[in-house]
Amino acid sequence: MSAFFQRIRLFFGSKQTADAPDAINGAARSQEAGAEKAASMQAQVENLDIPPNDPLLAYLISTASAVEIDKLSMNSPTLERLRQAGVKISVPLVSQGELIGLLNLGNRLSEQEYSTDDRRLLNNLASQAAPALRVAQLAYQQQLQARERERLEQELRVARFIQQNLLPRELPQMPGWNIAAFWQPAREVSGDFYDFITMPDGRLAFLVADVTDKGVPASLVMATTRSLLRSNAEKYISPGKVLETTNNLLYPDIPEKMFVTCLYGVLDPQSGEIVLANAGHNLPYQHTKEGILERRVRGMPLGLMPGMVYNEITIKMNPGDTLLLTSDGLVEAHNAQREMFGFDRVKALVAEYKDGDMVQAILQAFQSFTGPDYVQEDDMTLVTLTFQPVQSGAGNPQPITFEVPSQPGNERQAAARVLAVLEHLHLDITRQKRLETAVAEATMNAMEHGNGYNPDLLVKITVIQEPDKLTIQVADQGSGAPIPTSVDPDLDAKLAGLQSPRGWGLFLIKNMVDELNTYHDPSGSTIELVVNL
Amino acid sequence: MPEAKLTTAIRKPAESVAIIDLEGEVTGFAEQMLMDAYNQASNGKTRTIILNFSRLDYMNSSGIGLLVTLLIRAQRQKQSMFACGLTEHYVQIFELTRLNEAIGIFPGEAEAVAAAA
Repeated sequence: MSAFFQRIRLFFGSKQTADAPDAINGAARSQEAGAEKAASMQAQVENLDIPPNDPLLAYLISTASAVEIDKLSMNSPTLERLRQAGVKISVPLVSQGELIGLLNLGNRLSEQEYSTDDRRLLNNLASQAAPALRVAQLAYQQQLQARERERLEQELRVARFIQQNLLPRELPQMPGWNIAAFWQPAREVSGDFYDFITMPDGRLAFLVADVTDKGVPASLVMATTRSLLRSNAEKYISPGKVLETTNNLLYPDIPEKMFVTCLYGVLDPQSGEIVLANAGHNLPYQHTKEGILERRVRGMPLGLMPGMVYNEITIKMNPGDTLLLTSDGLVEAHNAQREMFGFDRVKALVAEYKDGDMVQAILQAFQSFTGPDYVQEDDMTLVTLTFQPVQSGAGNPQPITFEVPSQPGNERQAAARVLAVLEHLHLDITRQKRLETAVAEATMNAMEHGNGYNPDLLVKITVIQEPDKLTIQVADQGSGAPIPTSVDPDLDAKLAGLQSPRGWGLFLIKNMVDELNTYHDPSGSTIELVVNL
Repeated sequence: MPEAKLTTAIRKPAESVAIIDLEGEVTGFAEQMLMDAYNQASNGKTRTIILNFSRLDYMNSSGIGLLVTLLIRAQRQKQSMFACGLTEHYVQIFELTRLNEAIGIFPGEAEAVAAAA
């Protein structure tokens, strides 16, 4: 309800008194006429808004008892309206000094004046009705507020879900590289993000970024910045150029006083070289056998000023090195004693790091620093890239495994990932296409026949590389029947209606690879593709 | 069912020839779209249907199944079916499945239209 307009909803029509002198028939006619009058009056004064400067409002509040409309004299448009509607008596319903309703009565059916008793009765009624009405109004308001809160919470949950989908769903898999990431928003949604973009030539662009502020405003800017960075990453190989272009595009659109810090790098997985450019973000730390290196590269945050140029540095990752990228949420976190986690602690952790998962090691130290009652102050992101090249001659690369949910369309994603894993082999286009078809068909088979397109069931794909051959295993989680041996489809039989037009999948796979094996056990079926090199 | 990632367009370079341009993915999800395109292309006077694959992004075994269904319908209507614009990979798949014996394969649209005339 508006604080300035008292919306009057209550209305009582003409009063039929017991002492009405009319005969029975006359009374019936009179009642009908009264009901008509009442309806007309109700239409005229229903949802009556009394402007705050109308003197009637102050008068009704101050008298707080039945008022004879015809006896009032003041310059009030509302009073005029009440009169025109035929209202004879108005009884204000006042609760805690606020007018919350009016009981409006027209003429008595007997055409007699309202008596003192009548007015007393009305005043008693009003004094009891007002608090009850107030309680009902408050309960209604609370209900509305609760519904509004619930709607906002639901929207935030959806926003968080959308935002999580903007982050990489899977980490890049590259032979010789171990990539880890951690992302934790302080609220439902975050201004922090990270991303990986695989270039057509096999290089990997990676970034960690932090939008000023947190929550919904930051998450909106995050979504825009991510799209700009992604599209520029596809256009330019140079990190400095990507930041420069993104900055120029972001600047006109970003709200004043907001900006985005971003550390952006491009990794050549073969040589271990990384080109870095920085838009005002925390410097990265490189853990090496000789100790920790703070890699200094600086530039203006994105969105602050147009026309900025971003310097680049090239660093070399040696076997065993790890590069750590962080956002402010880590270093600027406080413990119960208001001490800050700080760069020195991060540096010490990176320097002390031996092996295993650096992200986990940092998170453990962070949790013991902040304590169990810690309420996260800011969004937090950690990304590490560790170079663990396979020694030549010391065996083959480790099998690479990944999973895709059983959803239509994911077969192409699976095939693209297998090709990305094998990129370093520089297979010719014919082989790539044949492999793409074989992996996609095998994945589709597993999603459809094995997992029944249940998105909770995964298809696990394993790529085993040996010097003379590649083996790709595609496993479903279905407990159904084993994969049938491929009956060669016969086009003539199909055209003659003797075979189903479908059923080409296994036939295609068999013809795309050098060897096709199928296995079945209680946990599911596996299609194994072998390609000789 | 997910949406088909396919768009189709029908062109009639001659009264007896209809070209169906296929852009995107020919997979099982494209069934309705493909059949609708065929119905539209196949009026009483159409003798040859040319499937233009020059903007094909991806075709899988279900998509090949659909081509067989299409071929059956075309043969019932005594229509010829041609294909053009296939990449080498899909030409190989047509050969493997012997679809090339039932569907005339031409490198470009002009050749297919000339052969149909």
